[in-house]
Parts: sequence; C-alpha cells; structure tokens
Amino acid sequence: MSAAGVAPTAVVAGRPSRDIGITLTVAALWLLLALFVVYPLVMLFARMLGMLGGRGSVDFGALLALLTDRNQLRAFWNSLLLAFLVGTVGTLAGFLFAFTATRCRLPGAAVTAIDASVLLPLVSPPFTTAIAMIFSFGPRGLITYGVFGLKGYTVYGLGATLFSEALTYFPIAYLTLRPILTAIDSNIEGMAQSLGASRWRVFRTVTLPLTVPGIANAFLLLFAASLADFATPLILAGNSFPVLPTQAYLQITGLFDLRGGAALSFALLVPALIVFLLQRYWVSRRFYVTITGKGAGQTPFDSVSPGGRIVLIASVISITVVVAYFYALLLYASLVVALGANHTPTLAHYRVIFTDGWNAIRDTLIIAGFSMPLGGLYGILLGYLVTRHRFPGRRTMEAVSMMNYALPGTIVGIAYLIAFNDPPLVLTGTALIIIACYVFRYGPTGIRATVALLQQIDPSLEEASQGLGARSGTTFRRVTLPLIMPAFFAGLGIVFIRSMTAISATIFLVSISWTLITVKILEDITELSLGPAAAFSVLVVVIVFVVVAGISRVLREFRAPGAPGVSLFGG
Amino acid sequence: MIVVPRSVRRLVHATAAVALALVALLSGAPVRAADTLNVYSIWPENWARPMFEEFEKASGIKVNFVRFSSGEALARVIAEKNNPRVDVLFGGPVETFAAGIAEGVFEPYKPPTFGKLPARFRHPDGQWTAIADDPLVFMTNDKFLKEHGLNAPASWNDLLNPAYKNMLQMADARTSGTAVTRIFSVIEVNGRDENKAFDYMKKLRPQVQLYTKSGGGGTLPVGLGQAGAGIFFIVDALDTKAKGYDVTISFPREGIGTSAEAIALIKGAKNPEQAKKLIDWATSPAMQNLFAKYKINFVPAHPDVALEPSLAEVLKGTKIFPIDADYAGANRKRVVDRWVAEVLNP
Repeated sequence: MSAAGVAPTAVVAGRPSRDIGITLTVAALWLLLALFVVYPLVMLFARMLGMLGGRGSVDFGALLALLTDRNQLRAFWNSLLLAFLVGTVGTLAGFLFAFTATRCRLPGAAVTAIDASVLLPLVSPPFTTAIAMIFSFGPRGLITYGVFGLKGYTVYGLGATLFSEALTYFPIAYLTLRPILTAIDSNIEGMAQSLGASRWRVFRTVTLPLTVPGIANAFLLLFAASLADFATPLILAGNSFPVLPTQAYLQITGLFDLRGGAALSFALLVPALIVFLLQRYWVSRRFYVTITGKGAGQTPFDSVSPGGRIVLIASVISITVVVAYFYALLLYASLVVALGANHTPTLAHYRVIFTDGWNAIRDTLIIAGFSMPLGGLYGILLGYLVTRHRFPGRRTMEAVSMMNYALPGTIVGIAYLIAFNDPPLVLTGTALIIIACYVFRYGPTGIRATVALLQQIDPSLEEASQGLGARSGTTFRRVTLPLIMPAFFAGLGIVFIRSMTAISATIFLVSISWTLITVKILEDITELSLGPAAAFSVLVVVIVFVVVAGISRVLREFRAPGAPGVSLFGG
Repeated sequence: MIVVPRSVRRLVHATAAVALALVALLSGAPVRAADTLNVYSIWPENWARPMFEEFEKASGIKVNFVRFSSGEALARVIAEKNNPRVDVLFGGPVETFAAGIAEGVFEPYKPPTFGKLPARFRHPDGQWTAIADDPLVFMTNDKFLKEHGLNAPASWNDLLNPAYKNMLQMADARTSGTAVTRIFSVIEVNGRDENKAFDYMKKLRPQVQLYTKSGGGGTLPVGLGQAGAGIFFIVDALDTKAKGYDVTISFPREGIGTSAEAIALIKGAKNPEQAKKLIDWATSPAMQNLFAKYKINFVPAHPDVALEPSLAEVLKGTKIFPIDADYAGANRKRVVDRWVAEVLNP
C-alpha cells in the first residue's frame, strides 16, 4: 500500500510478527520465488559467465563488444520505443473498452459481446495473428492489394509490429481497468455532479484520478509484455526495425551463442525494473479508497453524454470489427484446403488435429488446468501480502515476482532448462516444469490486478474484522478474498489463456512426454500446413471461450448476496 | 457488511487440495523402456514421423521424438549437456552439427556405411554422418512472372531485374544455414573473388523485401504472392509446390550450392545401443530408399541409392556444386560478419 495510505493500516501493519499464518505464507512464497525465479536466473548468469562448464572462460571483451554493438544499441532503443508505444496505445484502447463497458449503460448482451471480442486477440497463438497480418497487408494482401489496389506496399516494420502487439495486449489493460472502474462508487461521481461539475469535469477530477493506479498497472503490464515479446517482431518487424528480444533469440538459436543471448536479455531487465520502480513511486503518492464498507445504495450515475456515448460505442465497434475480421480469416483458413491456393471447403484439417495432434491437445489441457488455479492463488496471495502487510523485503518480493514476466520468454525457458536439468531439482521432461513456468511467468498479471484493486479498498474493513477478533487468515478469507475475487479471476483467466497460447518460454520446456498445441502450431507453420495451424488456433479459441464462460458461471455462484454483479473476469 | 458465502471457503480449500494433487501427480519423469529411443528431430514432423515408423518396423525400437528448428534443438542439447534427455540429433544442416562439435555435445561414431560415403558426407572423426543432400533453388511465383512477362530466373543476374525490386525473400545469414550456403554459392560463382561477390549482394539488397529468420520462411509468402521470388532449399521449394501453390523452380546457369543433412550420437546418451542402430539405419540405403515413397525431396547421401525420377527430372542439366567445407569453415564467421555490416545494415 502507498505511503499516504499507510496511516489507517497501522492496526493491520502492527500485527504480522505475531501472526504465524502470515509468516508461514510469506516464507513459502519466498521459497517458491527463490526456487522458480531467482535460482534459474542465477544458474543462467553463472552459465553465461562460464562458471558451470561450457566453453572455457568468459571473454568479457567480446561480451562488451556485443552489448555496445551499433545494431544491438539500436535494437535496445527500438525495444523501448515499441514498448512505450504499445503501453500507451494498448492502455488507451483498454481504457476505452473498459469505460464503455462500465459507463455507457449498455445492455448485458452488448457487454458480453465486448468481453468476447476483447478475449479474441488475447487467446490467439502469436504466430497466427502475424500470418493473418501478412496475408491481409502484404504486397498482395487481401486489404492493401485486394481492396485498395496498393502495390509494392511492405507490411514489415514498426507500424505492423505496434498494431499487432497493441491488438494482442490491450485486453490485459481492459481486464485490469474494468474491475477498477466498476468498483468506483458511483455515488461519488453522482455527488460531484450534483455539486455542479460537468460530466467532463467529473471524469477528469474524479473518475480518472481514481483509475490512476489501474492505468499505471496496465501500462506497466503492457510495457513489460511488449519488451518480452519476441514472436511478433520475429515475423513482423522485418530488417529495418530490430528489437532486443528478437536479437537475443537469434543470438541463441541462430549464432548458437547462449552467453551473448543471455547478456542481451539481461540488458532488458534494466528498463523493465526502472518502469516498475517509477510506477511504484508514482502510484504510491496517491490515495484511493472508494469501497469503505459504509454501505450505501448505488445510485446509477449518468456519466456519459449522448454524443460521447455514440463516439465511444463507435470506436469500440470499429476495433471489434478489425478483431472479428482477423478471426473470420482464421476460421476460413481452417476450413479450406490451402488458403491462397485452393479454396475448396474441407474438414480434413480438423481430422488431422484430433488424430495426430491429440496428444498435444490433451497435454495442453492438463497443464493449463493445473496452472490456472495455482496461478490465480499465487497472484492474489502475493498481491494481498505486499499491499496489506508489512514485512522485511516486501518491495523486493514484489519486484522479484515481476522478473519472469518482464524477461523475454526465450531466456526464462533456457534458464529453466539449465537450472532444472541437474540435481538438486530435476524437472526437465515433466509437466511440472511447464506449469511452474506458466504460474511464475503469468501470475504477475493477477498480482498487479490484486494490488490495483486493494489500493481502492479501505483497510478499515479488514481492521474491523481483526478488531472483532478474527485472525488474519480468517480476515483474508472472509473479508478480503470476496472483495478481490475479480482480481483472482482476472489472474486465473490470464494464466489459463497464456497456458493455452504462449510459446516463447515453453518451446524450450516441452519434451518427449509433454508437448503443447502452440508448439504444434509453430511446427505446422514451418511445414506450410496453414490449415492444421488454423484449425488448432480455432480449437484454442473455442476451448478458452468455454472455460471462460464456465469461470463466469462459477463466479456468479460465489457472488455474495447484494454484491455488485460480476461477468466475464470483470468486477 | 460483506457476508462471505461458505462456497468461497470451499473454493480456497479445493485449490489447496489441487496443488497437493498436482505435486503428487506430475513430478515423475517418463519411464524408459528397453526398446525405445529419444530423438530431437530437425526434420519437420511430416518427414521424420514416417521415417521413425519405418525404423520401428525394421528394428522393433520405438522412437520418441520432438521436432525443433536447428537452433532450438542445438540450444537444448547444449543446455542438457550434463544430463542428456535424448540419444540422437536427427536431420539438420551440417553447420549446426559443426557448432555442436565446438560445444562437445556429440559422441563420435562411425556407422558401417562410413567408408562408402564421399568425404563431404562424413565428419573425419565420425562426430556426424550425412543422411541426405539438399541443393538450393530459385523459386518464383507464377502469377508474378505472368504479370511482369518474365521467364523464371535462369541466372543470378536475372534477380537484379527491376521487376523484383522489394519482391524477394531469402534467409538471414545470422540465423540460417540456407543463407550461409547461398552466400558461399555467390562467392563460388564469382571465382572466390569476395569483393565481386559482395558487389553483387549489395546490388541485390534493394530487391529484398525481407531476410527471414529460417531458411524456408519465405516459401509461404512466395507461394501466396506476397513476395515474387526467393532462394530456398529444394525440399522446401518442392513442398510448397506440392501444397498446391503455383510456383516455378529454376536454377542459375552459373551454378548453385548444396548442403548436407546429418545425424549424430549425443554424448552421454542413455540408450546408446539403440541410438547406434538408428544411425546405422539412417545412413544406409534402408532409410534413404524410402525418401521417394514418402515424397521427401532430399537427394540421398548414400551413393547406392537411386534418385527418384521426378526429382531427377527437376535436377536434370543443372549445375550444382558442394560448398567446400574447409574453405567455408575457415571463412564463415568473417563472411557472415561482413554480410551483416555491408549488406544487411550498410
């Protein structure tokens, strides 16, 4: 919690040393972080410096030459630029969607439609969207050439990469911001208006400031996600816009230089940590509490003018149309013999994925099924502890938890491979290594969501519980947990979705016994089997939708009487 | 005040139970049976799978395999060095294996066919042995040719035609063996005059729309017409054609290079006997005679295996030369660095 917000938490904060439950949980989390975040990175670092075998002693001169190479420096700045733009554009789009969904008084069906269209880019394996981009916007693209007749247009570069990444990651911003906008007590906005403020002024001076922690969190998540993404630039950035994660990947897989690749990746940690610290510092100077526990009826507040409403809805619809087009293309590709060459309808691709690809489907579902609850639990526990309890190394814990998220997946994957291939902990070849990778790499979304949500909730609720004699475990379960359920499900949902779609880290962790759908998709694309790749992608989309619908049902079951309504992930 | 339903508490308990079950269920590594073998395949699954099934039929040994690109496969083998997870690295260009030798990840082994193979199809110490040969080709989109009234390129200089401006795709030399073979081809056809070769490549640069990470990365764009033409290995090019894309394969009259595909035994392999049986089988006509049956368009490495007729037809009258391993080995890093500095990022 913030410096300014600490005063009222004094009662909560004074206790932890006496509370054995909290101490044990903190210790367990530290143990897990040490094992699955710090240890692999240390092992990788040691391997990089030549302390664990490999080729002779390390050549610092060569390493320095690599890091100061003109092209690598350019790639470094390009990465920062791209991450900044993706963070900005993605957060804007996410806010637009979240604001429209919560403030435009849309009918339930429309909100569900928004949720669904937001989910689509999030659930697509990275390579398929990029292929759809090339198919639509290349020199002979369906849109650039087919519709506009443009010739010699080149898709590759900053524009296409930014477009594709912003489209892929803005749902994270939406999922982070929506519960926060929902949780803002509309009475406050209503009061501001009845005191004479215009709608715009209410937005600017009440709604927006209350959303700042969420916006900062969303930006941080998007910035880090873009900084770590290698798959999109690998396909779309072309030769004129190199970025660091791709360079690191090429250094390892192309030049067989594990050391150089690791060094380039560690360079990415610096901006990731700087943004994290900036965000902490900035957000922590603000104080936001709207859920105070002093129950009051929610009077709906008419926060958008009719004109603004039309503009908002039109913007949302146009983005949705773009998304829908991509997926229509994907569906079409899965149902024809060979996209671009032979458009005879066929179901053969689906037959292939359910026979040859069945093992991958089964393994992916088992792994995602285990990662999901563990990732969700990890997210709220860590988020809750670092926000509501004071213990030594609290800030460090939060920073460490972000590391696997901020590093390129290639590096995390190789670090896991190196660390867990030898005793004391041999995990390579098991499903556990993939599950651990997903939980600690994608759990941070749940942590950020929990932190942002808790910053809005007055600690006096928990103090009251403790004052009445409940222990912190009971207080957490019975007071805090129901309040941060939306964050739990946001975190859980992201972990599940990423378990179904991620590839960069896990391509190094799949084994003879456990493989994944995304690895099969990449394999199919390598073999030019666009049909099965598209069919797999459609299957992933369908599975995620079914599971997410299931989650919202469960969430409704758990809803406390009188609590605000909860739909897909939302608050 | 908030009332917490009992169901929330149940959810927390259930999650904890799932966590415990998970640890119990998923921590075990796979059991190793006597007659199985673990392999990383660099060949795509649709070629590797039938080969391994045939091997199982012939030997009774079941092959478990995963497919990776050459760079990923080698990165894994290196990372797993102290506790190898597989016994054999199967397929992939010889230069991947050369990088592996430098890391000390292979166990020298000379299969019975070793003596029969030409020198360029085997490592002198038996660190690797070739199973196939793979020449480069020009591949052009038919619609593109028709639109510009061109014939398929028949000379390296044909690619400098203004019609190809920003319409070529080929591999990036930092990541792809295909590209390295291509660059050494250009050096070779220019009589090993490196300056002349680089002059040509610099003139080709504006024609290139994208240097792809993998050797076959440009085949689909050319198939779809997003790019007009490219330089690829023949297996990838013929596969594109077989998938139904309208492309033409042609060869430059000055000649073009070829690169061998290899197999190697991993040092510290857990099933060395079975692994050696696979290497014996793969380097012999027993496997290479099956290429034709499964439409795998590699040129067999073993001299006793006849070339499949339709492949022979494609290759008829073409001038294909092997890249001199000693020359390429000694100059590779320098040439690639020069390519990056002068051609890729001038």
